[in-house]
Amino acid sequence: MTASVAPPPRRFRFRAPRFALALPSIVWYTAFFVVPIILVVVYSFGTKDTSRLVPVDFANPSASSYAEVFDETFFQVFRSTVRIAITATLLCLLIGLPVAYFAAFKVGERWRAVVLAAVVVPSFTSFLIRTVAWRIPLAPNGTLSKWLQDVGLIGEDGIQILETAAAVQLAIVYNYLGFMILPLYVAFDRIDVRLREASKDLGAGRLATFFGVTLPLAGPGIAAGVLLTFIPMCGDYVTATVLGGAKGNMIGAMIASQFNAAQNWPLGSAMAVLMIAAVLLTLIVGTAIVWLAPKAAALFEPVTRSVRRARASRPRKVGTQPSTKSATADGVMQRALGVWTGLVLVFLFIPVALVFLHSFNRGNSFTIWSSAVSTKWWGELFDGAVFVQTALSFAAIVVLAVLARRILKRRTLFGGNYGAWIVPSGLVLGLVVNGLMTSWYANLFDFPGIGDAIRNSFLAALGATFIAVLLGGTAGVALARRPGTWSTAFMVVVFLILVTPEIMEAIALATWFPRLQDLPILGHVFTEGWGPFNGGMNKLWVGQSMYASAVVTLIVRARLAGLDESLEQAAGDLGAPPGRAFRQITLPLIASAMIAGGLLSFALCLDNAVVSTLISEAGSTTFPVALLGATRSTIKPFWGVGAVSLFFVTMASLWFLVVVLRRGGASAGNIAATLTGN
Amino acid sequence: MTKQLRMLAPEAFREHLTRRAFITGGTAAAGFAVLLTACGGSDDAASDGGDSAGEASGDYSRVINKSSGSLAMYTWGDYNDPDIVGALAESELGVSMKVDYYPSNEDLITKLAASNGNSGFDIVVPTGPYVPQMIEKGLIQKLDMSKIPNFGNIDASYVSQTWDPNNEYSVCKNWGSTGYFYNKTKITRKMETWQDFIDACMNEGSGECAMIDTAPNLCGMWYWANGYNWNDQDAAKLDACEKFLVDEFAQHIKAFDSYPSTKLAEGAYSLAMGWNGDLRQAYVRIADAGGNPDEWVWVLGAPATELWMDTYCIAAGAPNPDAAHAWINWELIPEISIKDLQYHGYNTGMKEIDSLIAELAPDLERGEMIFFTSEQVATFQTQEITPTLDRMIDIMNKVKAKAGA
Repeated sequence: MTASVAPPPRRFRFRAPRFALALPSIVWYTAFFVVPIILVVVYSFGTKDTSRLVPVDFANPSASSYAEVFDETFFQVFRSTVRIAITATLLCLLIGLPVAYFAAFKVGERWRAVVLAAVVVPSFTSFLIRTVAWRIPLAPNGTLSKWLQDVGLIGEDGIQILETAAAVQLAIVYNYLGFMILPLYVAFDRIDVRLREASKDLGAGRLATFFGVTLPLAGPGIAAGVLLTFIPMCGDYVTATVLGGAKGNMIGAMIASQFNAAQNWPLGSAMAVLMIAAVLLTLIVGTAIVWLAPKAAALFEPVTRSVRRARASRPRKVGTQPSTKSATADGVMQRALGVWTGLVLVFLFIPVALVFLHSFNRGNSFTIWSSAVSTKWWGELFDGAVFVQTALSFAAIVVLAVLARRILKRRTLFGGNYGAWIVPSGLVLGLVVNGLMTSWYANLFDFPGIGDAIRNSFLAALGATFIAVLLGGTAGVALARRPGTWSTAFMVVVFLILVTPEIMEAIALATWFPRLQDLPILGHVFTEGWGPFNGGMNKLWVGQSMYASAVVTLIVRARLAGLDESLEQAAGDLGAPPGRAFRQITLPLIASAMIAGGLLSFALCLDNAVVSTLISEAGSTTFPVALLGATRSTIKPFWGVGAVSLFFVTMASLWFLVVVLRRGGASAGNIAATLTGN
Repeated sequence: MTKQLRMLAPEAFREHLTRRAFITGGTAAAGFAVLLTACGGSDDAASDGGDSAGEASGDYSRVINKSSGSLAMYTWGDYNDPDIVGALAESELGVSMKVDYYPSNEDLITKLAASNGNSGFDIVVPTGPYVPQMIEKGLIQKLDMSKIPNFGNIDASYVSQTWDPNNEYSVCKNWGSTGYFYNKTKITRKMETWQDFIDACMNEGSGECAMIDTAPNLCGMWYWANGYNWNDQDAAKLDACEKFLVDEFAQHIKAFDSYPSTKLAEGAYSLAMGWNGDLRQAYVRIADAGGNPDEWVWVLGAPATELWMDTYCIAAGAPNPDAAHAWINWELIPEISIKDLQYHGYNTGMKEIDSLIAELAPDLERGEMIFFTSEQVATFQTQEITPTLDRMIDIMNKVKAKAGA
């Protein structure tokens, strides 16, 4: 396409194709998404044959699986899934909107950071264990249930929510609320305050300003929030499995059971294809409604205009000072928003608090509180002596680092910049020294497996996030700056990655990797690997990077779409070669989006259970994979201990990141803004 | 077949239980997870295993083949004493264990088949009837019996099963049966058979009952209740089974749950179908949750019910087959075997297990849920993998869809 372009006469300049920057993503998605998924789609035209290794027979291809899907029973589950997802998306929007609004407009920088952190922090406790933790307050024999019975609010049977669609509905709203609040906040925060002020100055009331100015301007954020919640909800598999019982069945669980328990891959594949189609259809219908609503409203324009005119003609006190009545209303509004935000944050922390509490449960089951506090399960999981030794030596090194910084600060021997690096490097040193002393924390754990699982989770999430940021960053820049015919096709693939049910991608990859194992280099990567980066870990990186990189791509693209290209053009006009312009102009522009995308994908990868379960190997089991395997039987309280440990490790690394970001003197608010992609 | 089965007379056992409950202030809870005291010396037992104080008498082989490296096991949830897989395996066997869990035989097969011999697992624990399918697909490898000298410790009833007549691929891990569990304050009628269970589910227990989440068990319940053998391949019976389960029974089901013990304690169900070991744990969990275990009754399925056996196999392409053999062999040492039995509550199939229990675990509670009388065992049926399995899975899918409607 470009080789034929005549080179400029004076200097040879290679003109890369417009999609050059997206090339890594294109190769990656082709090799690990498009081709494997096509194979699974092909399965849907086969027939079930359990005697084969891949239980599909192609002797007489037919579309009979599709006919089977249109069975009445399947459609019932299908309808209830879409109903649950739509209800949950709307609830998330209704619950999250005031919180995002409050954080964006009604509080100071410091509190804003606190609110945002409180929204993000719960998602660093394992998704699975938080879902399981909802069983605790909802149990008919639980403390809450008994108390409600004593008070007389409910009957003798106790709370009857578990194993129903209501429990799934509640937990789904809970699980995805954060993914709604963050994009909403970013959208609100981008709005130029002057527009809102202008609206008020022109006499619009609070409501009119909100619905006429703020909400339309936040449109893209609302759309992003809806996409980030609705799509994964439709394919959600874990929540229904843990809480739904027979009545709360969802399509994701049904598809998974076709691939696993029923061994009916053709049917599972057909269901997945139809589910993707249905999700796309729902989104198209939703978009159409959003697009049509203003047009419909315009039809009533003459009516509304006359009403407005009537209202405006009413005598009105004009002045720069707001009336006292309006001021009280403002105060009430602010307080109500604050209370609402507080309640939502409490809601977000309920399961987290329960996970912490129940890790100190003395009984044998995580969800059943034995009314006695004990550190028994902590002891079960950790080797006490090694734990104390590790903690002590770690603390000693950090204290030394802090002291060193104090002393250096007083002497001002070095610039402040170096001083700021001492504590972070002390931390790293502490980790390394401890790692050497306890053979990389393997000795820390008494119980086999969980320590490895935590380490593997971290390693897998870090690697996948790195890949996701790299792919998403480059592809996002290419999409925003070099769109063309290719970008439409590319966006379709990105969208398909977001919409494909996880279990289908899992099957696609799990059956794809064995086909690669005879290839020269790639085969080695996915079988032996190198050291800790064994075959299983490398597969996890690939598997987890798919969804994550699609998310990063969208975030980076959205970020750049909001900024025009004049800066890069100016750099080019001033003679900067493209590489330099990219490094010095584009990269700083997208840095915050990449950090935000990186954090989001890290959280997503850390929680990835379905894809990881099928592609992980014995040596690369991650925490969610191990936990998902255990959820079918009794979950021992040490899983809570593991989740709490993982939480602290994650928080410590985040804190480390904040310290590093802060070295330039950025304020808490700036950091929060960076972390949320703003 | 049954003469070796110990019949721990239920009456005597209850007496024992009550006395113990009295002594310990009513907490029947602690017994299971607590380490086996009689086996306390085994932590530092020499590798010949011959001198520990808690060793049982009798003619058992106790060879320990020391091994090294790491050993990956893919098994059912909560299926080995954590102490055995953890510290003991490390100190006595010299291997560090990694354990992952799967929820059903089909999940195990999907995972192994998808990775095409590259799963990295050494030990897998399929249920007996699934062994031929796994052999056929090349998912498990032949055992080297010379490395399993303790094999002779298994009772003759549990070797040479139909699915693997010469034990070339599999060794019995433990076996169990299927029954149900109900709250007698809610279900006040007398419950003795599968038919009683079905009736209760469809009447006073409607919307409060849980079924085992496997197709053969769900369909088997109907076959047993009607006095048929669940391996009967008659199409008319399958049709009748489907008609009843889908049209009449499905709507009453609250959940499909193969391990109902925890949720029984949470109060989620008032009756549940389950495997004996898990339902035995339910008594502990109910006490844990502050409930009254005496309100709950365990019933072994009647007039007929299942005998299932889970087996140790070595996965094809296992990275450490040496340690895998050593592990299987080590698990067949009576002291280890009984320690595991106390944890999961399933019969491990050791020969003369009654005297082993009497010596090693005299205060084992609710033995009647682990050891069955010869009359009971006579009613047990072992599943065969026939073409009807596919049909049963279809029925299960329909029941699930109907139950969720």
